Amino acid sequence: MNYKNKLNSVSNTIARELEILAKVKEGARRKLVVTAKKLAVTAKEKESTRQKLVVIAKKLAITAKEKESTRQKLVVTARELKRLHSTLEKKVLRRTKALEQIRSKNEAILTSIGDGLVVVDKEGKISYINKSFEEMLGWKSQEILGKSMVEVVTREDSSGVSVLFKERILTQVLSGMKFVADLTNPFYYIRKDKSRFPASSIVAPVVLNSKIVGAVEVFRDITKEKEIDKAKTEFVSLASHQLRTPLSTVSWYSEMLLAGDVGEVSPQQKKYLEQIYHGNQRMVDLVNTLLDVSRIELGTFIVESKPTDIVKLSQSVIDEHKLQISEKRIKFSSTFKGKIPLLQADPKILRMVIQNLLSNAIKYTPEGGRVSISILLGKGKDVILDVADTGYGIPKDQQDKIFTKLFRADNVIVKDTEGTGLGLYIAKSIVEQSGGKIWFESSENKGTTFHVALPIKRSKNKSGSWLQQ
Amino acid sequence: MESKTTKKKTILIIEDERPLLEVVNSRLEKKGFGVMTARSVDEVFNAGLENKGLGIIAVKSIQQALDYLDDLEKIDAIWLDHNLIGKENGFDLVKKIKANGGIWKKIPIFVVSNTEKSETIKKYVELGVNKYYVKSNHKLDDIIKDINLYLAKPKK
Repeated sequence: MNYKNKLNSVSNTIARELEILAKVKEGARRKLVVTAKKLAVTAKEKESTRQKLVVIAKKLAITAKEKESTRQKLVVTARELKRLHSTLEKKVLRRTKALEQIRSKNEAILTSIGDGLVVVDKEGKISYINKSFEEMLGWKSQEILGKSMVEVVTREDSSGVSVLFKERILTQVLSGMKFVADLTNPFYYIRKDKSRFPASSIVAPVVLNSKIVGAVEVFRDITKEKEIDKAKTEFVSLASHQLRTPLSTVSWYSEMLLAGDVGEVSPQQKKYLEQIYHGNQRMVDLVNTLLDVSRIELGTFIVESKPTDIVKLSQSVIDEHKLQISEKRIKFSSTFKGKIPLLQADPKILRMVIQNLLSNAIKYTPEGGRVSISILLGKGKDVILDVADTGYGIPKDQQDKIFTKLFRADNVIVKDTEGTGLGLYIAKSIVEQSGGKIWFESSENKGTTFHVALPIKRSKNKSGSWLQQ
Repeated sequence: MESKTTKKKTILIIEDERPLLEVVNSRLEKKGFGVMTARSVDEVFNAGLENKGLGIIAVKSIQQALDYLDDLEKIDAIWLDHNLIGKENGFDLVKKIKANGGIWKKIPIFVVSNTEKSETIKKYVELGVNKYYVKSNHKLDDIIKDINLYLAKPKK
């Protein structure tokens, strides 16, 4: 019995253990199923990855091929570059040699130019001077390189008045202003040793990519030219003087013939004699004008400046022309506005200006035309004199020459009016030496208006060479 | 007729240019002055000084002029050119005349020259001449008229 009980208990135990095992087995079986599923998934992923790897491997193979081909191309290129490089080097060497030759040639040319040459940068500092510069001005290159040209080399006008910085051509050219040289106004350069010589210069800007990067000035010593000019003027003066004697002879003898001094003269003879007298008078006028011009140029006019009433002066000039005005039936008017102050001037000389402008206006206006004079106070410290006419006018293409010596515009030469072509040259010289300005507007066959502006007080730094107080 | 006094006025012309000398001579004579021309002292005296009233004495140089002045009693006016024959010019004549003093100093001097130099004119004015004419700028009759007017003025 014990044995049966024991067997029962053992079989129960075994049955229970078998149950447990079955459960465990089930559990394990389920786990295995999960694991098998997982493995299946992993296997799929592995396959997909393997396929991707195949693709990548193929790509790598292509890339490797391309790389190789590129590498080979690079090798070729590198060889080519090396070859080109050496060719280029040879070319550069040749070009450098050629440039060096050109540079040396230019240097030789610049150095040996007879004229003085100076190159400045955009601030006006000297970057190059040639041998002639050194010789003419007494400065050595190393002394003034890098310094301001207008400060190192000063200039002055004939009476010793310094030309200011802003009036220097170099300054104006560097700032982009267009400069037109005034050939009637000579200047002097001052050497290192303070001596001076008359010079003529040309300044041009150096432009790179539309910007001014510097300037070049070329100048000459014109002492010789001035001497020749002086000799010429003195000759004109002398010849003009000599001419006066035979002119006086013709004048007085024809005057005496006309006066019947040596017998009665027939009307026809009178006519002819009058032509002789008149023609002679023209020569006298021309000689007088030539002498005035030479006096202006030689600076031998002695000027007696005094307080001058320009209105009175003008009225006296107008009176002198009354006959002409009425003969030509000119409609004349004069306007003197306001209280015009006395001008510090030489009335003799100022009179010449007024005379010239008025006689021109009358001469070059046809019968029945209009001429007017007006004097008024200008906006600045000056007096303005205007002379206007409705005459032949000055053609536009000849206007820039109107103040030059012996110039007469074509349209009046054709009209057979008399004139020397020196009047306006003299007038301009006088006006400018007095510190004033003269200008005009004109339209052919419509008329001309001349303006003269004269300072009331003479400015200290503009004393003309021949104007003395 | 023109002159207020019965005696002819005497003008001494000193001019180096012959044609000018002659025409001035001729005109002054016609205007009521006597005429005498000379290029040298000898010529004057050979030309018959005795009959002609003393009128115009024309000379070409200072020396001639001074020779006349020494010989003559009265000269009413002097017509003087600046450039003359010989080393001396118009300045020298004026200086010498003024230096003689007395009535010589008072003789009116009319300079008729072609020089127009400002310094020259200024110097003549300083030396005390009456007027300066630039020959070619004036009619002969105008200058003569001026001289007549001046001589007609009552003297102090």
